[in-house]
Amino acid sequence: MSGEEEENAAELKIGDEFLKAKCLMNCEVALILEHKYDQLQQMSDDPRNQVSQVFEKSLQYVKRFSRYKNPDAVKQVREILSRYQLTEFELCVLGNLCPETVEEAIAMVPSIQAKGRVHDDDAIDKMLNDLALIKKFE
Amino acid sequence: MFLKVQLPWNVVIPAESLDIKGLMLQKSIVVRLLDEFASRKATKDLGYLLALTTLESIGEGRVREHTGDVLFPVAFSGITFKLFRGEIAEGVVHKVLKHGVFLSCGPVENIYLSKLKMPDYDYVPGENPVFMNSKMSKIEKGSTVRFIVIGTKWLESEREFQALVGLHADYLGPVS
Repeated sequence: MSGEEEENAAELKIGDEFLKAKCLMNCEVALILEHKYDQLQQMSDDPRNQVSQVFEKSLQYVKRFSRYKNPDAVKQVREILSRYQLTEFELCVLGNLCPETVEEAIAMVPSIQAKGRVHDDDAIDKMLNDLALIKKFE
Repeated sequence: MFLKVQLPWNVVIPAESLDIKGLMLQKSIVVRLLDEFASRKATKDLGYLLALTTLESIGEGRVREHTGDVLFPVAFSGITFKLFRGEIAEGVVHKVLKHGVFLSCGPVENIYLSKLKMPDYDYVPGENPVFMNSKMSKIEKGSTVRFIVIGTKWLESEREFQALVGLHADYLGPVS
């Protein structure tokens, strides 16, 4: 980001390469890493020998911070959030933190209310309700 | 934030592990990549390297003079973790000091929340020191805290990131 505007995720200034990169929600990462871990377990007796510290710490983290555990629910969360013209980054912050109110959602992802975006309070409210429903029926 | 990235990489396969069949070559490339992932730990641009998901393509191998090792340009997708300035995330407190607390978030362990960045919390000394505010909200070892990233720093020698975080916005603080 050198020589460019200062990085600020709240205004979606995170560098083009990351803005376009696919972000992953904690619950998605949990599914992928658990699957990897199982694969390694089949290959050796003690999978802990096989994984790096970075892997292990991340797995612990995403297990603790996944709001949705069921793979179908995880898929649905992404599907529902994708309907709201969010960037990948915004989508994942919302999916990770699961704000309960419109005010909280805007505080977590200030960019969703930036000028020129289509999100009014009603749209955000509907989105949060949809998310809460998935959690309820998980 | 966890990211799914596509990366070009050069993998060097030692000459002695080459006299085997094609399938094994793919395996040695993956094994090699995993090794490098683990030893590299992180890069300044991409953040922490977590896992390799798919090997997209293996290019034409080039024999290196003298050693006979073969270098393969490969492309693969993997998962990385990076904290961005302004990002809001949740972490776990692992150390409480007089001047602030240290948190971990994903693979990052050096996340510092200074006392100055949580002005309504006061340090309460004791066997298990805590930070507490007037509403009896507590930050102690093991607490989950939602924070905003103020800045990050890449440490080349340790190959890791440090981050400074704060609680100076709405809806931040300990999460029960």
